Amino acid sequence: MPRFDPVTHALSINRRTFLSQGAYGLGALAFAMLQGRLGAAAPSGSGARPAGWNGMLSAPDYPVKAKRVIFLCMAGGPSQFETFDHKPRLRELHDQPFPESFTQGQQLAQLQNRVLKARGPFTEFARHGRAGIEVSELFPHLGSVADDLCVIRSMQTEQINHDTAHAFMNTGSIIKGRPSMGSWLLYGLGAESDDLPGFIVLTSEGKHGLQPISARQWSSGILPSRYQGIQFQSQGDAVHYVGNPEGVCQSTQRLVVEEIKRLNGLLAEEQVDPEIATRIAQYEMAFKMQTSVPELTDLRQEPQEILDLYGVTSPGDGSFASNCLLARRLAERGVRMIQLYHRAWDHHGQLEEGMKSGARDVDQATAALITDLKQRGMLDDTLILWGGEFGRTPMGQGSGRDHHILGFSVFLAGGGVKPGITYGATDELGYRAVENVVSVHDLHATMLALMGIDHRRLAAKFQGLDIRLTGVAGEVVTDLMA
Amino acid sequence: MRRLVAPILTAIALPVSAVAADLRPVSFNRDIRPIMADTCFLCHGPDASSREAGMRLDLREEALKPTRNDVIPIVPGRPEESEIIFRITDDLEPMPPEEAHKRLTSEQKELIRRWVAEGAVYEVHWAYAPLVRPPLPDSGVGGSSHPIDAFVRARLAAEEIEPSPEADKSRLLRRLSLDLTGLPPTPAELGAFLADPDPGAYERQVERLLASPHHGERMAVWWLDIARFADTVGFHGDQNQRIFPYRDYVINAFNANKPFDQFTIEQLAGDLLPGATEEHRIATGYNRLNMMTREGGAQPAEYIAKYGAERVRSVSAAWLGSTFGCAECHDHKFDPIKASDFYELQAFFADLKQWGVYSDYDYTPNPDLAGFNNDYPFPPEIEVRSPYLAARQRQLEAELADHRAASRARRENVEVALAFEAWIDQARAFLAREPSGWSQPGLVAVLQKKAVPDGEPVPSAPDGIVCLSQELRSGESLRLTLSASRDPIAAVRIDFTEAPRADPDGRKDNSRNRVTLAAVVRSAGGTERKVGFVFADAAAKDPHFLGGAEAIGIVRGWRIPRGAADAVRSGIWLPAQPLRLAEGEVLELKLSGEAVPPFRVFTSPFGSADALSSASAAVREAIMIPRERRLESQDELLADAWLLSTAWDPAAFDRHHDLAEKIRETRDGRAWTMVSQAAEPRPVRVLARGDWQDESGPLVLPATPSFLPGRRESTAEKRLTRLDFARWLVSAENPITARTVVNRLWAMFFGTGLSATLDDLGAQGEVPSHPELLEWLACEFREQSWDLRHMVRLLVTSATYRQGSNLRPELLERDPGNRLLAAQNPRRLEAEFVRDNALAIAGNLNLRALGGPSVKPYQPAGYYAALQFPDRTYVASDDDEQWRRGVYMHWQRTFLHPMLANFDAPARDECAAQRVPSNTPQQALTLLNDPTFLEAARLFAARLQREADGDEGRIRRAFLIALSRDPRPAEQASLLGFLREVRRHYGANVAEAGQLLGIGIAPRPGGDPVELAAWTSLARVLLNSHEVITRY
Repeated sequence: MPRFDPVTHALSINRRTFLSQGAYGLGALAFAMLQGRLGAAAPSGSGARPAGWNGMLSAPDYPVKAKRVIFLCMAGGPSQFETFDHKPRLRELHDQPFPESFTQGQQLAQLQNRVLKARGPFTEFARHGRAGIEVSELFPHLGSVADDLCVIRSMQTEQINHDTAHAFMNTGSIIKGRPSMGSWLLYGLGAESDDLPGFIVLTSEGKHGLQPISARQWSSGILPSRYQGIQFQSQGDAVHYVGNPEGVCQSTQRLVVEEIKRLNGLLAEEQVDPEIATRIAQYEMAFKMQTSVPELTDLRQEPQEILDLYGVTSPGDGSFASNCLLARRLAERGVRMIQLYHRAWDHHGQLEEGMKSGARDVDQATAALITDLKQRGMLDDTLILWGGEFGRTPMGQGSGRDHHILGFSVFLAGGGVKPGITYGATDELGYRAVENVVSVHDLHATMLALMGIDHRRLAAKFQGLDIRLTGVAGEVVTDLMA
Repeated sequence: MRRLVAPILTAIALPVSAVAADLRPVSFNRDIRPIMADTCFLCHGPDASSREAGMRLDLREEALKPTRNDVIPIVPGRPEESEIIFRITDDLEPMPPEEAHKRLTSEQKELIRRWVAEGAVYEVHWAYAPLVRPPLPDSGVGGSSHPIDAFVRARLAAEEIEPSPEADKSRLLRRLSLDLTGLPPTPAELGAFLADPDPGAYERQVERLLASPHHGERMAVWWLDIARFADTVGFHGDQNQRIFPYRDYVINAFNANKPFDQFTIEQLAGDLLPGATEEHRIATGYNRLNMMTREGGAQPAEYIAKYGAERVRSVSAAWLGSTFGCAECHDHKFDPIKASDFYELQAFFADLKQWGVYSDYDYTPNPDLAGFNNDYPFPPEIEVRSPYLAARQRQLEAELADHRAASRARRENVEVALAFEAWIDQARAFLAREPSGWSQPGLVAVLQKKAVPDGEPVPSAPDGIVCLSQELRSGESLRLTLSASRDPIAAVRIDFTEAPRADPDGRKDNSRNRVTLAAVVRSAGGTERKVGFVFADAAAKDPHFLGGAEAIGIVRGWRIPRGAADAVRSGIWLPAQPLRLAEGEVLELKLSGEAVPPFRVFTSPFGSADALSSASAAVREAIMIPRERRLESQDELLADAWLLSTAWDPAAFDRHHDLAEKIRETRDGRAWTMVSQAAEPRPVRVLARGDWQDESGPLVLPATPSFLPGRRESTAEKRLTRLDFARWLVSAENPITARTVVNRLWAMFFGTGLSATLDDLGAQGEVPSHPELLEWLACEFREQSWDLRHMVRLLVTSATYRQGSNLRPELLERDPGNRLLAAQNPRRLEAEFVRDNALAIAGNLNLRALGGPSVKPYQPAGYYAALQFPDRTYVASDDDEQWRRGVYMHWQRTFLHPMLANFDAPARDECAAQRVPSNTPQQALTLLNDPTFLEAARLFAARLQREADGDEGRIRRAFLIALSRDPRPAEQASLLGFLREVRRHYGANVAEAGQLLGIGIAPRPGGDPVELAAWTSLARVLLNSHEVITRY
């Protein structure tokens, strides 16, 4: 007879009863409903379950190009006029009244009740790569990988303040309780890593233009909390409580965990309750994380040339560069969604200092991540998104720019996107996206499509609604797909 | 996956009809509505804007009419003539269409066909229909006369399922204690119950626990999720808000068993009640618990719209069990909730005084909140009594009195007494020179600027007044070097001789008149030693807000009031240790501020606890009196002054100031709390697609939802108020509030609601497993005067509740969710009770008082790093507030304490009626490694060492305390083996034992560290065990 293996047992019980890491009664039931309804609502899908898919979706709707996402969130909203949207006409108009024909009736943030004047870009642009993508001189390294970039210059969002704009960019909604993109991916596809969380968030900060962020941005919302993003901390334990306590060495911790499992096993002999087996499995997983997380975050294992490539001077210092390198290590270990926040881009004033400093923080490391993934053959199935929660006004605000939602730039790379292109355009002053406008919902729909998912199908039932990342909107932008 | 899902779908969608479905007539509410709501109403339901083919199926009269394609959707009794039957079975163009990603099973199709054949009888959706008390089923079935058992057992009998036997007594008491108070039974309580042979013994325990003050704390956890109670505002900077008295109101309401109708009215409209009391107004904090912003650049009108919409969502979820959210933009797709219902409900709350952006930015000026910044509170607020703070104040004052007495008593030692008298002699000599108790040292003032390394000298007048000719700019400060003095310095005083200059445009007055002081001692060699201030205060000061509350004292800034032009404004600072400058050392002060008025500086060798009474007349007088004529009161005064002036016993000095600070923080037993305040109602219009900038929609007046009975509408003459709304909620006509509440109570005690969707009783919610029981309970609740405790008692005294919780493997296929209740459901404790339970087991849970400001248990450092405006540093509570119950934990919406978040507590951004319990590695890591649980394990171990002897005895005791039972032999044997191993380990690694025992602020007990570390390890095992965090 095979030996009783609590982990296997727990997982098989989970699959059988749909109480997978779920829980008792109410919760399990509501959860089963979510899943059940999803199942009923998911008749399509063409192929077999692709390798590495172990979530709620059984079969892809489209060819699976990307297996994981790395979202480099430039928190605060970097200026498109000093990154990817070159507007010579705006430069000519610098310091002159901004034409009212553009701004009439539109939302403003800190420029409410102010006289509006044009602010020309302070940087030069150069054309890079085969397609001659225009990139500001602040980002020479990104220029050098232009052939891998898919720059969208026609983004629009709906929210003009940081908090709600982050909510919208991450969850497709400003209603609280909507799951984050990473939670959706984890829910739909599961994770490929069995000793790390499947959705990991890293944060770093620059010197200018910091804005707060919220754990809500990586919340699983209405989905069970096991789908929430786990934030790696830049000080102390990388994951809360992952380090052994003072005075408890690894072997003692092992003794304790083994004894807990033994007691729980004895309980299971007396008590019929599937949660016990799950609990046993989770202690095993927790113990594995206690080893795998420190190993993962120990960047000293990386060779010097890799550290130099990213511009990491002090490995594990919580800088954006360190986090990019960590992101690659997470990607290698099968983490489904890796999200980096760099808080540095809210330049209502001191735009020039702020953009230069922000570019120094991220330019080299971002390009290095693309290069490094490419040289490891992982860029093809890793989808990178770089961008803020919104852009900045073509109008000046003192020495800076205000928030702007009608036109801004982001880029995608890898993961089945068309490399080396620029997509969409804003008007001559960069006020409004006018050609091939891409909404946040469109961006989400496209990203999901690259993962093989029809965004309309990745849904969960809540309060009578089919909740989706894209709500009831979103068109896949096939022009962005290779 | 589809294959796996099918049985679940059947079980969930048709939880009670699956077995006997064939025998009963098809019921629209039970069988058909759930199918149609999921698959038809999106295009053929209430929302006209999305209706396809002119076909509407949610109303019978519409469904029987020919559509514009001239087909008849439903012909009662004639499925073969009914278009819907044709379409759902049509292979070419099936309904629902492919693109809807919905599919009907053949069983569902057959049900619809049968329903049409049986006459297509529609029913009002069960949750909106009037409440009618159903008769009790024959109580002969199942042998219990309890009404709940009558319903549950009749149903089981129909299915030919036996209920489970009653759980054993010890498990029953643990279940009951955890369910009613969130705390485990003590061994004494358990012993008393086990020894009580009376047939009414269980009921007596129910009464004991219901009467416990901790019952209110337990129930509050439930309601605070629904009320979205939190300590911070949620949006952007997530600043602190002052609201804890509302939490205490909720706890007290449950403890007083306040009828739920009154509870409802007070929260929604207490301020509108005639003769509204302080308690009524505190209760209206409910209306203020929506998330708020003060983000720069936010549009006030947009956020007013967001707050209004959230309030509709939260109120309707809390009291109506309904989801109004979609109706913000359009008529609901599945429920008869119209967009006008949404805005008419919102209009009830349009009178609430609030601001879209709680700040005063120059681009969005806010004259009501002039000068408000990120450190300000969120008005309207009132100041109220806090019994907790008053009691804490009394307790701390008693501790301080004891401390002072102990300190005085030290003079029984002759050497101490001599030192005391020597100090008086020196003080007398000082007073002979300086009768005021203050000396004015000479000083050199220099304006420090970034660009000028040595600074610019500032001349001072012969009388020592320093007068700046210009205002200080950012980064500038004034360095004041005091001439060397041999007198000790226990206090520094600055007298401003003029009012601060006003700001020309009056906008930045809040910061302009603020000064801050820092100090260093500089040696002859130029090295400097920082001097902190233990306290500072001024008799006259403008309020200075920090982190949402008024700062106590002026250490972190003194806003100098304008007042009379020639009044002297004095501030006194107390160095953290009285200074005795060595040869060559000087005291350097750094004064910062914008508009610094002319000033003089004084120092004194006399300190005090409150700063202001330093060198008081009473102390000076007592010093001058010869020892033999000194009164006892004067002797006591001098003994305190000696300590506070010299810190002759540094630990006693620190303790004195620490207690004084904590006493000040109790603010004389008063606290501010956000409340509702009525103002002229804002106009409310239906916003097309929810767009706040669209002003084309019609204006609406308050009205109760059109789809619920007993509708009340405003008229041109009489506008309905929040009070009208609250009274309608708990009126005899409204059926859904009672249903919503009893369904949630049921979930609290049985793990799952009778309808599993606690937040949605609408068309998309689940039809109840026991519809008649839910109706009966809802009627009972309303007719028994909304008596919550009566309902709780009813639930926990049923035999259904008292059953064993061993899930029934033989029923797994038939009843996978245990919805028929052939057994109790095990229930993992909620986050707060996971904590409470562990601390109660350890014996360090602080249960001394109810209510009070939120407390801060240990939390990983740096967790708030991404929070700004203002920056936040989490300082864990450093006394016995560390071990208060989870219900009192600081609730930071954007970064909820990791322990709470890991155990599924909601952030409470909006109403959260349902916590979905998970089972994750993060929970294991928390219980294994969070200092709270490690400290608890150490205290539990020490407790076992105190309370029992021998390894086996202690293990028995541990099980009794933690699990209310004896260990089984296998458990005992396993733990004994474990104990041997950890003993061996710590015996060989004594230093590790010391480290483990050093975690937490609880005093470390004496004794053998190896032994205690071994038992701490065993305690960790138990605190981590699944059974401890589960209520079986």
